[in-house]
Amino acid sequence: MDCKTAKSLIILGLYGELDEGEKRDLEEHLRRCSACAAELAETKKVFSLLEENKPAVLPEVDWEKSWDKIRGGIDRRPAKNEQSIFPRWKWAFAGASLALVLGAGIFIGKYGFAPAPKPAIVSIPASSGPTSVQQAFAGYLEDVKPILLDYAHYTPGEKNGRRITVDENILRGLVFQNILLKRKLAEKDPVAAELLDDLDLVLKEITNRGTQDPQSPAGIKDLIVQRDVLFKLEIMKKL
Amino acid sequence: MEEQACIRLAREGDTEAFRALFEGHRERVFSLAYHYLKNQADAEDVMQETFIKAYHGLPGYKPDKGLNFSSWLNRICVNASIDALRKWRKKDIQSLENEEVSKLSAPSHSSNPETSARNREIREKVDQALNKLSPKQRMIFTMRHYQEYSIREIAEYMDATEGSIKKHLFRAVETLKRRLRRFVMEDGYGL
Ligand SMILES: [Zn+2]
Repeated sequence: MDCKTAKSLIILGLYGELDEGEKRDLEEHLRRCSACAAELAETKKVFSLLEENKPAVLPEVDWEKSWDKIRGGIDRRPAKNEQSIFPRWKWAFAGASLALVLGAGIFIGKYGFAPAPKPAIVSIPASSGPTSVQQAFAGYLEDVKPILLDYAHYTPGEKNGRRITVDENILRGLVFQNILLKRKLAEKDPVAAELLDDLDLVLKEITNRGTQDPQSPAGIKDLIVQRDVLFKLEIMKKL
Repeated sequence: MEEQACIRLAREGDTEAFRALFEGHRERVFSLAYHYLKNQADAEDVMQETFIKAYHGLPGYKPDKGLNFSSWLNRICVNASIDALRKWRKKDIQSLENEEVSKLSAPSHSSNPETSARNREIREKVDQALNKLSPKQRMIFTMRHYQEYSIREIAEYMDATEGSIKKHLFRAVETLKRRLRRFVMEDGYGL
């Protein structure tokens, strides 16, 4: 075992997270390596220092008052999420939302303008029940996820400056779906609405920045990380 | 009433059934938020937000997906706490730090003024060190160190692999050690 591995096993060991084999290997290493033995002693001291910081008792909570607030939050319509934090937003989907209001069926194809082999229906029927909205929402998350992953895995300064390209029509379609889903879900599902707001922000940012600017993937990655979008998306899928 | 029955009723809009769920889980949810945020008012807000989100999320909650109700609540709470800390850090961090430090002077083990001052100083240093962690690292550290959740449980609440939780935990402890090492030496603390 090298010292680097030993260092991480020391920490896991203090948390009781080692299996028997790892424990044996670490003990063996500590017998031979005085540097790591000193490391263990020091880590133990820092741990006891941290222990001092642990609140001995939890403060008293007025649970009745808390329940009243929760009760109020349950009854009240969830507060509208803060507006986009990107005011430099230059954005031209006004005409498109008009089409939406008119109830036009909008289709997006993952293959651009060519007759789409598997078109996804963007509009949600007005009479749709909760199940079909849930299904549409789940399908929507599936569609957005690969795009988010592409950006999230982007490493700045990548060799040959890998460029992430997303078909503009797909982006547009996803933004429309977002608007529709938010209308359907906002009232009864604030958690979903919050995620939709975040996704809306990211999608618009991608559209806004375009894929030509070499700085753009890093900026979009930051936004995804900052708002923990992938984490929320995973939670939503489990809900 | 059995928990599953409460969940079923609450999902249909029965707030009394939801209240029973709240009563069964409130301490644990509050404790998680409090150990993480170290501020009563923020922790209460997060706790309330967690239950409100849970109530609205109930129609989509499926226990058969392997996540029990309390793990599901923990997930919502973890997420809400991380969000709260992010917002909180955006505010004037310095002034809040000072405020926190004074708030943290919970009754110490000793009435000796000298010891109390030293404890306060330790708390202050530890808090400063904790504030250097990323919100996610701080959450992982809090759950493992102060709340004693296992790495497997933390991975479940954060929907990550155990490997990545271990990596974050390692980095968090290394950062804390780097920040506190000098203090440990100077102070002759232990050894
Ligand atoms: Zn070694």
